Amino acid sequence: MLLHVVNRSPATSRVYQQALSGMSSEDRLLLIEDGVQGALPQLVRYYAEVEGRLFALKEDLESRGLLGRCDASVQVVDVDGFVELTEEAERTVSWY
Amino acid sequence: MQESPDDSDLLVILRHGPHGSSWLREGLDAALVAAAFGRCVSLLFMGEGVTALMPEQQVGPLGQKGTAATLEMLEMYDIETLLVDEQGLSDLGLSRDDLMLEVECVSSEVLASFLSEHRLVLTF
Amino acid sequence: MRYAILLMGAPYSHQASHSALRFAHAVLARGHHLEAVFFYHDGVYNAARLAAPPQDEPHLVDAWMAIASEHRVALQVCIAAALRRGLLDEREAARHGKDGVSVEPPFELTGLGQLIDLGTRCDRLITFGP
Repeated sequence: MLLHVVNRSPATSRVYQQALSGMSSEDRLLLIEDGVQGALPQLVRYYAEVEGRLFALKEDLESRGLLGRCDASVQVVDVDGFVELTEEAERTVSWY
Repeated sequence: MQESPDDSDLLVILRHGPHGSSWLREGLDAALVAAAFGRCVSLLFMGEGVTALMPEQQVGPLGQKGTAATLEMLEMYDIETLLVDEQGLSDLGLSRDDLMLEVECVSSEVLASFLSEHRLVLTF
Repeated sequence: MRYAILLMGAPYSHQASHSALRFAHAVLARGHHLEAVFFYHDGVYNAARLAAPPQDEPHLVDAWMAIASEHRVALQVCIAAALRRGLLDEREAARHGKDGVSVEPPFELTGLGQLIDLGTRCDRLITFGP
């Protein structure tokens, strides 16, 4: 199982497509930095195929005022949880 | 400690064309160094990165070297696995025959398996 | 576990440096060993000795130096990427006849082979791009 990390918003960048095409059915996806916009209910549809395996970084949601607006299907983790995700995954692949 | 062959596998994902940024050149540099250190290296040209393989590319107007010459050296470094993202090609209206090197086209269905097969994946 | 970080974003231009620093601290807090941070692409600017951000902003260069001295984390800067961008340590400044030095220890200019080595040797390599 790999952890994929995306730091761009699906509203402005196609990087999310690259990440999705690199993901197999067990892999997880973590949204960080501007990527956390993808956790908004309006944008989370781009990640429909990885529902249940989608995470967003709490600190980056919080600093952008988006924490309370996160879609219920997204699992919010803090940076400690980010490290934990990297522990659990064999490798991490970043898409930026 | 003896390394298994899998331990030395590196996949370098190239997502940018020549000249517009240094991503392609710096990604290729990493691949060449890894190969020179005896690692088994595969390249995946993804998205806009497929334009790295256009046969008629040239040096830039200020003498920027570009990357075509580096690509021609890949074989010398034993970098023989060259994968191209099929979607990236068709998005630009290109086909495998348009490219300067012999490559293997991969669909997004099998792309994921390439990523999980490598010990280390670097994206540029 | 043994971790390494690859940082490719310039400080004060992108969040990548902040993200990498925050991640580095979290890795250490969870009891892991952070072997090295490798700076490549525009990430080499994190080693700019002369960075002088306003006092009410985080000083990223100092923050990297602090993590290096407190936790023995190696700060490895790709020499080819650094020289092109005007980042020279004492030795390279002398070699190229420059009268200033823009990189100082604990940052060390080193080859890309170090990155490949880290990628193979460490259990986890995490990339932060711009």
